[in-house]
Amino acid sequence: MILRYDGTFAGFLSAVALARERGIKPEAITDREPEQQGLFAAIEEVATDRDRAEELYRLISRTLPSGALQTLRYAFHSCEPGREILLFRYLELGLATGPRFGAMLAHEAVIPVWKLARAVGREAHRYKGLVRFQQLEGGVWYAAMEPDHRILPLIAPHFAARFADQRWIIHDPRRGEAVVFDPARRKWAETSLEVTGPLPLSAGEELFRDLWQRYFDRLAIAERHNPKLQRQNLPLKHRGHLPEFER
Amino acid sequence: MPELTLAEKLEILADGAKYDVSCASSGSSRRNKGGIGNAAQCGICHSWTADGRCVSLLKILLTNACIYDCAYCVNRRSNDTRRVILTPAEVAELTIGFYRRNAIEGLFLSTGVVKDPDHTMELLIEATRILREEHRFNGYIHVKVVPGADLLLVDRLGRLADRVSVNMELPSRESLKLLAPDKSREAIVAPMKRVGELIVQTKEERKVSRKIPPFAPAGQSTQLIVGASGESDLQIVSLAAGLYGRLAMKRVYYSAFIPVNTDERLPTVIGTPPLVREHRLYQADWLMRYYGFAAGELLDEERPNLDLALDPKAGWALRNLHLFPLEVNRAPLELLLRVPGIGVRSAQRIVGARRGGHLSLDDLARLGVVMKRARYFITARGRFGADLAPDAAGLRLRLTERATAKIRWSQPSLFDAATAIDIQSSITGEL
Ligand code: SF4
Repeated sequence: MILRYDGTFAGFLSAVALARERGIKPEAITDREPEQQGLFAAIEEVATDRDRAEELYRLISRTLPSGALQTLRYAFHSCEPGREILLFRYLELGLATGPRFGAMLAHEAVIPVWKLARAVGREAHRYKGLVRFQQLEGGVWYAAMEPDHRILPLIAPHFAARFADQRWIIHDPRRGEAVVFDPARRKWAETSLEVTGPLPLSAGEELFRDLWQRYFDRLAIAERHNPKLQRQNLPLKHRGHLPEFER
Repeated sequence: MPELTLAEKLEILADGAKYDVSCASSGSSRRNKGGIGNAAQCGICHSWTADGRCVSLLKILLTNACIYDCAYCVNRRSNDTRRVILTPAEVAELTIGFYRRNAIEGLFLSTGVVKDPDHTMELLIEATRILREEHRFNGYIHVKVVPGADLLLVDRLGRLADRVSVNMELPSRESLKLLAPDKSREAIVAPMKRVGELIVQTKEERKVSRKIPPFAPAGQSTQLIVGASGESDLQIVSLAAGLYGRLAMKRVYYSAFIPVNTDERLPTVIGTPPLVREHRLYQADWLMRYYGFAAGELLDEERPNLDLALDPKAGWALRNLHLFPLEVNRAPLELLLRVPGIGVRSAQRIVGARRGGHLSLDDLARLGVVMKRARYFITARGRFGADLAPDAAGLRLRLTERATAKIRWSQPSLFDAATAIDIQSSITGEL
């Protein structure tokens, strides 16, 4: 049995709830077209059911230690194919063992999920530094980024706290997704976003771009030139939207 | 000479500040209370320069002019270089401009001494005040204290900054006298002591009333130059231990001496600067702060210098073989921390995981233990996973980092991502 859901966390929890109710062990839980998966089992479409998802979420929060919940959330935002079934097994074990679950760090159902969460957590942390805003005409601050995982909702709270007086947008053009922050209501929201053509920059942008590039060049110590270490710390794929590397 | 643009001044003043090693922006958690910015508890890197170092703060000098003449410093009076100065408002404007674009975590402001220490301190305070009060900036600010300045100014600065620091630079009174004749040991230690007192005292007061503004909530740090003078590692490590213990010091930075001036008082450095030594000192420092080692366990009068070929934890383990092998399912956390190859995180994970069942050797690798090193010192469920017993003769050789092996020149950074480091030392343009 393959369960197909809509790709949202609520949808995923709906699928898990369904499987638990029926006592089935799905072969896969996925939001993709099944032929892409090369699987031939029976497919059931799961409708997202908010109430059911919330009920399960409450059960999870009551039963699993808080660290496990965070692990679950982060691992879900990974883009690793097949992550859902790993998460399903993780949840099954957690719900069955309850308080003892926190100590089962070396369990085979826990390790892969922990690894996914760690990779997502690392990328989210990295992008707290690599998101780079430019001010657009009209005052909105815009940043584009292309992370491996879907980290927008994971990093949005950080930027909401830090730039609470700026109207800002963080955009993942590859996925066509964005988070948008409204300082008046102090709230951020996810939205889909397509940008066509170059964005009109505000008047101060050129000056600061120049200042930053010059500052950046001066910081490197010539005798220590070490592009290998630089690449190790900042792989090329993360440099796309950093002004210091756009010249 | 023609007036320089802001960009040109920035270049000169960044040049003068870049050798300072402390780039950590972690350790403060200032909340955004209306206005802009906050300080993240664990440091954030915004870019990496061509030498592989993390960019976290806007690190600049207020001015590269100086009335003093320290032998090791690029900005000393007797050097013939172009001198520039920024106004406090310009410093604030640059900081805010970069911060709003999320290019930095905050400001690291240092300076040469203009006119006199008090006047210079007033300028630093003014830049910090403009940021905090006029721009309502809650991001991270680290400011250098000018030795010799009035201690009341130190008090004012610490109420505005997240971290303050006075660089000690030279580990002994004698070296200081020789190489930095304008700065007395007292002029350096007095503000450090004052800062230490105020940090402790303010913490107490804030337990009673949160209305009292924090004083340097990210603590104070200092920097020692290694290899410009003749002190042993034992002297340096004991000095650091004293600073951590008595002065509420958060961080001591070590900086391998690299000559930027020719001066007969300085040693002639042939070949590469003492980077391996610097690296070992960082490791020893780390062991003292996070692994519960005392200075005396790492070094003593008989062995006053760290072994360059072996990390100090492995060195300690080899001198204390009677304690090994440890059974990981029973050993207390304090002892697990002393096993080569087991870091703070993996030790904690072991303690957590073994509550859920007896751990095997395979489990350990999955928990992040570096088995290549640890296997000589542990058993799991009574099983020993190495081909050499801990007391075997060849073990030292196995644990030695081969000369060809790549040592990553960075401070061991277990906790803060922002401390990726400067191997480059600091012959710095500042205090
Ligand atoms: S170390 Fe500081 S006080 Fe000494 S010359 Fe350099 S800038 Fe001046």
